[in-house]
Amino acid sequence: MKTLRFLPLLALTLLLAACDTTDANDDPTGTIQVEMATDIPADPIVGLENGRPVGAGIITYYNLRTNTMVAASDSNTTNWDLALQGTTLRINGGTSGPGQGAAQVVTGAFEELMAAPADGYATDSETGYAISTGSGTGWYNYNPQANLVTPIPGRVLVIRAADGTYAKVRIVSYYKGNPATPDASSESRYYTFEYVHQPDGSRRFE
Amino acid sequence: MVQIIITWFCRFSLVLLTVFSAQAQPADTLKHYDLDPVVVTATRTAKVLRDVPTPTAIVTAAAAHEQGAMRLADLLAEQPGLALVHDHGTGLQLQGFDPAYTLILIDGEPVVGREAGTLDLARLTVAGIERIEVVRGPSSSLYGSEALAGVVNIITRRPAQALAARVQTRYETHETVDLTAEAEVVQGRFGGTFVANRYQSAGYDLFPARAGVTTPRFTDHTWQTRLAFDLHETTDLGLTARWAHQEQQGTTSLLQAGQEFLFENDGTRTDWSLTPRLVHRLRPGVKLTALGTVSRYQTDLRTQVGTDAPERVRFDQHYAKAEAQLDAVLGLRHRLLLGGGVISEQVEADRIRDAQQRSYSGFGFIQHEWLAAGWLDVTLSARLDAHNEYGTRFSPKAALLLKPNDALRFRASVGTGFKAPTFQQRYLDFINPVAGYAVFGSVDVQARLQRLDDSGQILSYLLDPSTLTTVQPETSVAVNLGGEADVTPWLGVQANVFRNNVRDLIEAAPVARLTNGQNAFTYFNLRRIYTQGVEAEVTLRPSAPLTLALGYQYLDAKDQEVVEALEAGTLFKRVEGRDVRVRPGEYGGLMNRSRHSGTLRLRYRHAALGTVATVRGVYRSRYGYADLNGNLILDADAEYVPGYWLWHATLTHPVGDRLTLQAGVINAFDETNPTQVPSLSGRRWFAGLRLAVGS
Repeated sequence: MKTLRFLPLLALTLLLAACDTTDANDDPTGTIQVEMATDIPADPIVGLENGRPVGAGIITYYNLRTNTMVAASDSNTTNWDLALQGTTLRINGGTSGPGQGAAQVVTGAFEELMAAPADGYATDSETGYAISTGSGTGWYNYNPQANLVTPIPGRVLVIRAADGTYAKVRIVSYYKGNPATPDASSESRYYTFEYVHQPDGSRRFE
Repeated sequence: MVQIIITWFCRFSLVLLTVFSAQAQPADTLKHYDLDPVVVTATRTAKVLRDVPTPTAIVTAAAAHEQGAMRLADLLAEQPGLALVHDHGTGLQLQGFDPAYTLILIDGEPVVGREAGTLDLARLTVAGIERIEVVRGPSSSLYGSEALAGVVNIITRRPAQALAARVQTRYETHETVDLTAEAEVVQGRFGGTFVANRYQSAGYDLFPARAGVTTPRFTDHTWQTRLAFDLHETTDLGLTARWAHQEQQGTTSLLQAGQEFLFENDGTRTDWSLTPRLVHRLRPGVKLTALGTVSRYQTDLRTQVGTDAPERVRFDQHYAKAEAQLDAVLGLRHRLLLGGGVISEQVEADRIRDAQQRSYSGFGFIQHEWLAAGWLDVTLSARLDAHNEYGTRFSPKAALLLKPNDALRFRASVGTGFKAPTFQQRYLDFINPVAGYAVFGSVDVQARLQRLDDSGQILSYLLDPSTLTTVQPETSVAVNLGGEADVTPWLGVQANVFRNNVRDLIEAAPVARLTNGQNAFTYFNLRRIYTQGVEAEVTLRPSAPLTLALGYQYLDAKDQEVVEALEAGTLFKRVEGRDVRVRPGEYGGLMNRSRHSGTLRLRYRHAALGTVATVRGVYRSRYGYADLNGNLILDADAEYVPGYWLWHATLTHPVGDRLTLQAGVINAFDETNPTQVPSLSGRRWFAGLRLAVGS
């Protein structure tokens, strides 16, 4: 019972302590918004070859700074940060584009990642993509029994955008309409992802 | 073709009937139950069941008949501690192991032909069996590869009657028809049993709205014969032969991106084996057995997707073994078993390097049974397997049997098991023509990668290819502790606690990135798992005509790496769209394993009428089906198949001495789960008769 009585006091102390941090005051624009990108097509299935689905080979270019899709004609500019095609993700840097882009996959909860790591970034290169492709090695797991691609929970894609600013991205769904439990009837290759972009060039996400 | 076979079958049966009906002699009524049955699998020597040091169960032909089982799968499904799992056929899950880890034998010789590790138990007829022996715990110390979970040995009937024949027919829901004709003859020094079985079904469809069916139509034929010849007072010759063939035809479907794709399948499967055997008694208590066995398993499947060109996949496996075994009783307290042999295996398949591969191995084993005291029996065994590719494997085992008194027996054993890498894991040479990924067997992965590198198809190596080595066998160490007590004449209890530590499980993992964006894979010894649990059985005979048997198994089977990741807090799951850490207690273990499972068997026999009624229940608690929240482990309620009971009942009634009528129901309460358990076809009724003639 004693503990219970002291709990509100403890909570108040913690709250005051939280207010006391100078982080919020440092950021003149206030807190950074969590952005949402919904049903971004990533080379949707247009037909079948030998019973396997194939796309038309279309890459979708995305600007995380403006939360908009970018025309493919801009692929050789710094107008995009992330490109999506099937399960493959490209970053605007290295062999994929002229930007300063780089990325790494961090294990942890999206909300708990308060800052981008200082190092450990990779760029797209001839030897592979910054975000590894293949089941279990990058952002997704492939379940052959259910034939489903599901984002690995607890994986945060930390992306350095084309202009050198940082963003953290969490893939929510690979299926159109972000169904709670995708099944054989779900349409694949439509990304829903949430992200936080820090425009001030720092690595902080709060 | 089918017409010809049916006609032929009827003629065969008629001839037998005409020949034997002249002899008016009492038929085999199957009323006799042997209280002290003899088994041969646990020690490779004939031994009374209660004196065997490792946990062993038997299922008799009489029990199979009273159940009304047609295939081995039907029979084993109702045994305590055994679960059937469905992946590329109906396989056996024993002590929490996948089907690939239980060795299946017929008269002591391995049945070949596994698909994705599963040896389809629906392939094997119950016709012509004497009994089934199920040995739990690793038995590689006597049998070599594949005997990690245990051994199932199907013992066929040996010729015992001067002249006898039996015809059995049965009809079941889904147009399932089983026809069996058996004949048995012993004339002077010669004896033989002959079994012909035809099993056919129209299959079933759990999704009538879809164009494809769940299980296609098939017809299966089996011929089995066992011949014995007394060459000399001290020398017997034997020959066991088996031939089985299945034809399957139908349209199955697959849902993808909301669209149904039809697969026209047309396949055949043929397997046969031939085992000549010589048994020579050198002197009383010393017996030499020499045998050779050849077997072959062939499948030919033609699949057509939509209007695409048909794809044909062929597989052809040969197995040959020569073996000798010396069994010597030394004095009153020692018995020694020595054996050795050579094995040749060959696989022909489209995706294997050079389309054909062959391997050789040699083995030797020794077993010492020591009756240390009247109440203590110690059995030590070990086997050495030398293979031309992955070196030698030593598998020891020690087992103790304690008999403090006549009603109590304790068993303890520590043993090792191994499973050799498959031909696929060693020699696969496959580049997916559509997706573009490559998978290579581990034996010559370096050469395959070099070939890709030379043609500029490799982007980068994920690890130095020169460090790649041939995959080694998967291995296990296990402990089994248990015993049984005849508490009262009407109450028997037995229990066994087990723990299996399995390491070096083989899995494919990427080794190089290709220029087409895909990966090249090869096989590695990666995972470690453990399985542990309790198996228990209670048998009650409250009154002479009534028997009640209850079986229960508790099972805990987990992946060690997952357990470690959970402790480290690096595994997450998605709950209402957010990622949260999975707590260790939320991990449900390996997929497809029920924590609790049980069997109930009630048998009543009316003494005056001879009628036997059995009611059986089989329970599985919920088990993992598939990962749905993206972390590949079983940790959410939605990822389980709900638990269920299946109830079956059979009534067997003799009419006179020769005729037996039978009727029953399988899955009486029509339990189904079309999406998660398509193998549950619903309630099935059956009726049949058996006519026995002869001595």
